[in-house]
Amino acid sequence: MKFIDLLRTSIGNTFRSKARTILTVIAIFIGSFTLTLTSGIGTGVNDYIDKTVAAFGNENSLFVQKVSERSTPGSNEGDGPTEYNPEESNVRLGFGSVSGLSDRDIEKIEKIDGVGSVDPMYMVTPKYLESANGKKFKLSLGSPPEADGLQLESGKAPERAKDEILLPASWVEPLGLGSSQDAVGKTVKIAIGNAVDQDKTFTATVSGVSQASLAGSSDNPIPSVGLNKELYDYQSSGSPRKVPNSYFTATATVDDMSKVGTIKSQLADENMLGNTVEDQLGMFRAVINGIVWILNSFAIIALLAAGFGIVNTLLMSVQERTREIGLMKALGMSGGKVFGLFSLEAIFIGFLGSAIGAALGIAVGSIASGALSNGLLSTLPGLSLFLFDPFKIALIILSVMFIAFLAGTIPAVRAARQDPITALRYE
Amino acid sequence: MAAPVLETENLVKIYGRGETRFDALKGINLEIGKGESVAVVGKSGSGKSTLMHLLALLDGPTHGVVALEGRPTGDLSAKELNELRNSAFGFVFQQFFLTPNQSVLENVTLPLKIAGVPAAERKRRGLEVLEQLEMADKADNKATDLSGGQKQRVVIARALINDPSVIFADEPTGNLDSATSNVVEDILFGLNRDKGITLVVVTHDEDLARRCSRQVYLVDGQIVPSLEKAPGDAAPREEDRHPWAQQPSDATGPVRVAGPATGEVITLSQADAAAIARAAQEPARPGRHAAPAPSTPDQPGATA
Repeated sequence: MKFIDLLRTSIGNTFRSKARTILTVIAIFIGSFTLTLTSGIGTGVNDYIDKTVAAFGNENSLFVQKVSERSTPGSNEGDGPTEYNPEESNVRLGFGSVSGLSDRDIEKIEKIDGVGSVDPMYMVTPKYLESANGKKFKLSLGSPPEADGLQLESGKAPERAKDEILLPASWVEPLGLGSSQDAVGKTVKIAIGNAVDQDKTFTATVSGVSQASLAGSSDNPIPSVGLNKELYDYQSSGSPRKVPNSYFTATATVDDMSKVGTIKSQLADENMLGNTVEDQLGMFRAVINGIVWILNSFAIIALLAAGFGIVNTLLMSVQERTREIGLMKALGMSGGKVFGLFSLEAIFIGFLGSAIGAALGIAVGSIASGALSNGLLSTLPGLSLFLFDPFKIALIILSVMFIAFLAGTIPAVRAARQDPITALRYE
Repeated sequence: MAAPVLETENLVKIYGRGETRFDALKGINLEIGKGESVAVVGKSGSGKSTLMHLLALLDGPTHGVVALEGRPTGDLSAKELNELRNSAFGFVFQQFFLTPNQSVLENVTLPLKIAGVPAAERKRRGLEVLEQLEMADKADNKATDLSGGQKQRVVIARALINDPSVIFADEPTGNLDSATSNVVEDILFGLNRDKGITLVVVTHDEDLARRCSRQVYLVDGQIVPSLEKAPGDAAPREEDRHPWAQQPSDATGPVRVAGPATGEVITLSQADAAAIARAAQEPARPGRHAAPAPSTPDQPGATA
């Protein structure tokens, strides 16, 4: 018997006992529908995390901080007081100071193999932002590297060398800039004081408008690297004595992500700590994946139960068709082909259940996604709770078909082993 | 006799072992010539169905040889046997074995489908053979919607479609009324006469058996010259309506007799005892002693 005839016959046989086939298909449908939805949530949430990761900064950014030597006992010999090091700089905060990265540290980072560029984070505290209509707003600036990964409503990220600034979407209207599109290209003024509290105003062009995101980094306007440096230079000027530069953190751009491990250990040798975005979000991702897998396992249990449904359905079919099997074997059909006939029927039942389940799962998920992002989840723009990856959907359908095949082997073997004489006598 | 299409040599078939051992065939030597029509006649349990299964290569013998067109079939692989059955044999069963919910045409072309013949050719040949049996107008009907005689014609069409050299018919008229039986018999013997297809008919119907060119009588797994009908035995007994119910029925209990040669007590089934009783009533034939030495059972009920 040719494969195409075998396939046609088994598909035809599937519908011979409609009620039984439909019930079995429903069992499989429930499993694959659930699996499609849970995998949709997994894909949707992970996709959102990916976007959010981007909002925290570039994927190949390494955030470097100084590790206070006092917090790492054992790095010094003995427990006595640490000797004063004029080279060690502290970042002055309102409530004291912490060990910061000095210019020498920045140079050390730059020298590490694999590091492309290093941008120290300048602590800039401007006084206010003044819009074209003369209104003044309190201002704290975001860090320039954060601009890279943000979802933009319009325009683009600030260019490094230009005096540009990226505004959050929520700022556009209060500043009187019209729509997000209109805002691009308009100018705002930033006022900042120096060490002796002399104010100076800098003009910045709006390069783009950013969407809100989970990371929160888009809540503040973000200046370009160049503008940020200018503001910092002015802020630290005017002091009678040169204060050594000190940075809370620096962003190192890593050229080759495979070297991150060695770069981190080299940083550790210099009492510095480097973290990638992935390090910071890894935990979050692990929890989400854990939840998705728990949901998946429920769906898989449902599928296993459905597998027994297939075994049952086909065993009944084999029983009912005993004489037909006997006839086919008497007429020269091999046991292998009989096995194929019943296996294909099982696979087809699996395909029906999983394809319908996946299709309906995608439909329901997409509708729910749309409704949720306009309702319950509207505070998280960019999140679609269910996202369907065609590859994963295909994988689900194929796995269900494989489970169906495995379930079908028991009845199929029984059919293949039928002795034609006994089978023809069967009543 | 023409060149034999089927031959057997000392064919023995034993089912089970020890306590449950049952010798279905006890050394059958048979030649069936090309174009012959042979009736295998016997009661339930005589081994006639077993003989047909061995001849049709559906089962293998315990000992002995079945040769098809001079070639022994014992060392053929399962695949070769399947192909032989598919191409050389046609089967007509009492129970029709038509697949419900499939059209008449689909049922008829099943052997071609198994052989891997393309769909278009299957349809052409299927309609051709249905035409031959005046069933072409029913080609698209469901097989289950036909009358008994029509069903048996479909079965004959299915047996004919692969141009077989032998058609095996197991009680072909067992489920038909006498008028329909005659039509079906006419068709089968017409095929035998006009197309030279060898016919092997397994039956307990004496009328059908008489229409064959040769009769082979089986008693207790052995060929005997003839069966003398016991009085009142004209109508087939209920158990004989089912050709597969060939295991001796123990409903009325076994019959214990003294063995003729040794005098030891042996146990005979009721059917065996009845056959022996019948054999005992006919005159002995010279040169043949296929039946066990006639010995009158010492229980009067055994002749029932």
